[in-house]
Amino acid sequence: MEKMRVSRNRIMVTILAGIVLVLFFATVAGLIYYRGMIRSLGKVQEEASVVYPRLYAYIAEDPDSQLSKRIYKEITEYAQENGCYVEMTGQNLTKTYSKADRINIAISSKVDGIILEGDNSEETSALCKKAMDNGIPVVTVMSDCEESSRTSFVNLNNVDLGKEYGRQLAKLRGEKGTISLKAVILLDNDTKNSDDTVYRSIMAYLNGSTISLSSYTVDTSTPFATEENIMKKLDELDRQNNIPDVIICLNDRTTESTIQCIVEKNLVGKTTVLGYYDSEPILKSIEKGSVYATFAVEANTIAKQCINTLNEYNDTGNVSNYMTAGFIKIDKTNVATYDPEGDRNEG
Amino acid sequence: MKASFFANMKISRKLVAVFLATSLIAMGVNIFIYFNLNQALDKINSVFASNISLNELSDTLNKIHTGLTGYLETKGTDDLELYYASEQRMHMQMRSLNSSVSDNGVRLAERDMYNMLETYLKTADEAVLAKRGRNIDEYIEKYNECSRIKDYLNTYIYSVNNEQFKTNSENYMALINSLRYTEIMSVLIFAVASVMNVLLIIILTSTITRPLTRLSAKADEISQGSPENVEPLEVYSEDEVGKVTRAFNEMLASIKDYIARIRTQLITQSEMKEKNLLMETHLKDAQLKYLQSQINPHFLFNTLNAGAQLAMMEGADRTVEYIRNMADFFRYNVKKSSETVKLSEEIELVDSYMYILNVRYAGEILFEKDIDESLLGVMVPSMIIQPLVENSIKYGIKDLEPGEGKVTLSVYREDKMCCIRVSDNGIGTDEEIIEKIMNHEKKPSETRGVGITNVMSRLDLYYNNKEVFEMKSRKNEGTHVTIKIPLEDANV
Repeated sequence: MEKMRVSRNRIMVTILAGIVLVLFFATVAGLIYYRGMIRSLGKVQEEASVVYPRLYAYIAEDPDSQLSKRIYKEITEYAQENGCYVEMTGQNLTKTYSKADRINIAISSKVDGIILEGDNSEETSALCKKAMDNGIPVVTVMSDCEESSRTSFVNLNNVDLGKEYGRQLAKLRGEKGTISLKAVILLDNDTKNSDDTVYRSIMAYLNGSTISLSSYTVDTSTPFATEENIMKKLDELDRQNNIPDVIICLNDRTTESTIQCIVEKNLVGKTTVLGYYDSEPILKSIEKGSVYATFAVEANTIAKQCINTLNEYNDTGNVSNYMTAGFIKIDKTNVATYDPEGDRNEG
Repeated sequence: MKASFFANMKISRKLVAVFLATSLIAMGVNIFIYFNLNQALDKINSVFASNISLNELSDTLNKIHTGLTGYLETKGTDDLELYYASEQRMHMQMRSLNSSVSDNGVRLAERDMYNMLETYLKTADEAVLAKRGRNIDEYIEKYNECSRIKDYLNTYIYSVNNEQFKTNSENYMALINSLRYTEIMSVLIFAVASVMNVLLIIILTSTITRPLTRLSAKADEISQGSPENVEPLEVYSEDEVGKVTRAFNEMLASIKDYIARIRTQLITQSEMKEKNLLMETHLKDAQLKYLQSQINPHFLFNTLNAGAQLAMMEGADRTVEYIRNMADFFRYNVKKSSETVKLSEEIELVDSYMYILNVRYAGEILFEKDIDESLLGVMVPSMIIQPLVENSIKYGIKDLEPGEGKVTLSVYREDKMCCIRVSDNGIGTDEEIIEKIMNHEKKPSETRGVGITNVMSRLDLYYNNKEVFEMKSRKNEGTHVTIKIPLEDANV
């Protein structure tokens, strides 16, 4: 009896000791896991980042425009592939700076190069000179800063673009079967350079034809002014019963605003748009018929030329001071197969 | 080894060891959790450190600019001191800023700020130099440039501060959430450790208290009686309980031994009583026999004495002698029947008996004595020789011709024994009868008189069944009866 009790006690003690052992290991494992948890707390703060040897600044006329964003995206991707980084100067700040301020910021923050959507203002020219004086190469893109000592200009061949707009107008007139065709071109008041070039090229192409082209300057100084301006102009033309057969737009925002206005005013069919850029609303409008054709910039070509030029200048100090990039025409015939992201291969 | 080491520790030390071990475990776990939690809190505290340093940067920049503006306006030395002190501080603070190109927005903004600050400080220095050189146009231009860069920097600082605050707040929330998990985790660990400690205490204290419980159960068992059936406890440890258990076992053994001794004593005592009772019975039996067969001895003594006095008055000397012998014989019987007596007294009795018989049978029985006188003081039970002599006369020589019968009494020493032999030259005794007598199968009535059986029984009782009685006989060659009394029992 006594022996039985003793052996039962021993079994109990052994079981309890086993449980204690298991709990001990559980505690140790828990403490190790706990330490791991505490250590991993600090890792939340550290985000992985890649360091680049060079920084270029991209300064667009309108940093919020889709075209600028698109070009910036292409430039950034290409730059990263080629060991440098591009910053859209002035973005993500609590204050919106003018182009001149953004150039100044780029200069004072000692970037390795500036990709600038140029204009012919004296201020821009002076800032280009200041940058160059500080050893920062400046590549103008889309539109030049002719008076400045910029390093290089990546041109969009606006003359060819104008001719193409003219060609499309003639084609439209043929399709309509009318003798005359009224067209209006909406010019951006900010960019005197490129729009003017395109306008002049169209005029030159239409010289002597029965197609009449009048111009209207749209105020794009504030983000909401564009649409209001276009609507106002259309209202005015409507009142005069002088709605044009074709409205030519030379940037993405104007194109999209015009499409919106003619839909709202129920002018689809009465007028059509020759647009600019390949955003989704514009492409859809081609499919619906409210836009006759649009011209997309070869953004990847521009990106390559800009980055290669700056890298080459920084490496050798010598680059070609003029380069061109083309446009892609999108109309009903190719809109279904057109891939905005895939234009790299086509360029 | 460890277990036995623990088992042999003193109870007070065991208890200290148990509580020390569990307390150390609890303390260790607590310290570990506290240390790590503190680390986590430090990390959380450092989350907003970047915001703080950016604010300090902005303050320093504004001080530099105030100093610069003051100096350019009034050329005041205090302003210049403020300017230089702030500039120095700025250089220190700039070290915490990232200066490399990174694809991380905040780090890139830091790099821009770093370079803009360098440009600012350089331009400000140029402005101060131009002021010293009184080059008004240049320092105004430089000052304007500085103001512009300061504005950019403040915007950058504000924006980065905002951005970092957003990120830091997210981190803070993530850290706080993680901290909640760590809290749960620490509570779990602590709970597990506590359970483990409780079990540890149960195990270790049970090793201390279990022997005590067993001991008390044993004590209970003993108190309920029959301690001789209680098994001793096994001793597992050498602590106080072990020592008490050992002492308990010794006590148990002593009790058992004591009980056994008392029992043996009781048995011996009862055996003794039984023996005494038997002795008394046999003596009484013998006495009864005499009383039945003889006249009241007191009356007889008185009558015999009267007869002796009469014979003396008549001058009959032989009659006087005869009557005196008879009186002695019966007095002896009355007086000595319940005592041990000296061998000499027994012999005297036999002499009296033989004298009486020879008077009766007119000297026909020849009686011879061969006595070792050194043995006369040997103490023997009374009435052991006379019955033997009587038997020899009654059965041994009764059929012989008058004058032929002879009875011999010999007392001699042999191997530390006092031998008393009564022999006759009679017809002898049958083997069968001797065997029956020796085996106590023969009833007294069947034997040769009262004598032998009674004598044998008393001798057996007196000498504890030692073989002291011997009877030998041959046809027509007489019978020899020998009593061998061990001298150490005889109280010489």
